[in-house]
Amino acid sequence: MKRKNDAIIWLVLPLILVLASCDPFGHSRRISEPIEEIPDEIDGWAPVYETGGNITTITSTAPQPIVKGGKIYIKDNTVYQIEAGKGIHVIDITDGNNPQKLKFIQVTGAQEMAIKGDNLYTNNINDLVVLDITDYNNVQVIDRVSGVFHLVDGDQPPGVGYYQCVDPKKGTVVGWVEQTLYKPQCRKF
Amino acid sequence: MKKLIYIVLAFSTVAFVSSCEKQDSTTSAASADKSTGSGTGQGGSLARFTIAQDYLYVVDSRKLHAYSLTNSASPKLSSTQNIGEDIETIYAYKDKLFIGSMNAMYIYSIADPAHPAKLGTASHVRACDPVIADDNVAYVTVRSGNVCGGTQNAMFIYDVSNVLNPKQKNVIIMDNPWGLGKHNNTLFVCNGNSGLSVYDITNRYYPKLKQKLFDDTYYDVIVYNDMLICMVEGGTLLYELKADGQVLKLAKING
Repeated sequence: MKRKNDAIIWLVLPLILVLASCDPFGHSRRISEPIEEIPDEIDGWAPVYETGGNITTITSTAPQPIVKGGKIYIKDNTVYQIEAGKGIHVIDITDGNNPQKLKFIQVTGAQEMAIKGDNLYTNNINDLVVLDITDYNNVQVIDRVSGVFHLVDGDQPPGVGYYQCVDPKKGTVVGWVEQTLYKPQCRKF
Repeated sequence: MKKLIYIVLAFSTVAFVSSCEKQDSTTSAASADKSTGSGTGQGGSLARFTIAQDYLYVVDSRKLHAYSLTNSASPKLSSTQNIGEDIETIYAYKDKLFIGSMNAMYIYSIADPAHPAKLGTASHVRACDPVIADDNVAYVTVRSGNVCGGTQNAMFIYDVSNVLNPKQKNVIIMDNPWGLGKHNNTLFVCNGNSGLSVYDITNRYYPKLKQKLFDDTYYDVIVYNDMLICMVEGGTLLYELKADGQVLKLAKING
């Protein structure tokens, strides 16, 4: 009888271990709960839509509110902060106690940037664009290289996890941001 | 009496010499930190773009692309190569690129800048992982959770003096580590909503936590001269780095 019990334990234990390791949330849950259960509230990805206008048009405008605040870059006492999918905030920090927003450069799909001299390199969705920033009031696209990198995926977020499903009616997906989601219906593994 | 004078002389000589050595190492580290090339700026540790040796390097989720900036107004693609899966970040130091992916840190040589060549790899658990490095040490933070996968939150510290074979020296468990930056003997690690950790890294492989700042939710950090520029929730936060090691909050740019 004892031998039979032992056999059952050796059969059941690996099963429990396998099920437990499937726990997708990293905290313990009851195995009876369906694994597909969608969380009410969870951090994940949301698409950024472009709703109109020419997505290749790049212009400098008056300073815009920082909404999410993306990656940062610094050169010559000027901070550049990406607004994911939208463009680049240009901020003068010569006086660290009183920084001043100078301009906003609208670049659809922007996520990344770097500068050499007066040339700013960024991504206009999946194109590398070179901007002449000699005059912030009159930023010019001086070169564009297409078809090389693939930074923005219109169907899925750049990382794993839950995401807000893409709704083509809302426009073209030009980027992804991390945010709190409520009952997200899509998930990337 | 004569003996005593000799002893005092001997001690002061030793003290003098050792203080010189210390100053030397600090100075060289400081100049190395600033060596970003002619006319280029500095990005954070979460960046996928970096400029080094007059080339722009871009990593997307799988590949490394090298563009020549010989004519900076017109970049020319020199090479594209596969690196691995889920690439996230790139960091340049001297003639090397340190590339962070969800599974590993890759080290590439840019001795031939048009064609980066793989030197070494350090694999780790699945997570998001920015990396910074110098000649001897690489600091890699791994962040787990809903958008990164994995279950470990930690900073891995590697001896990279032999780049062909990075050796793990230390692991520090953390709450929620994002980007990181360093300046001389100080390492700054962003911990999301668990603060900004300031470490003394006089001993490169064994950081000592000196201070934690809780002014905001921190994602990335750049050390710029005597300023600390932090990517925080909804904007940028500036600190001044005082000579005595104090970190003084200046202003937040938001809204």
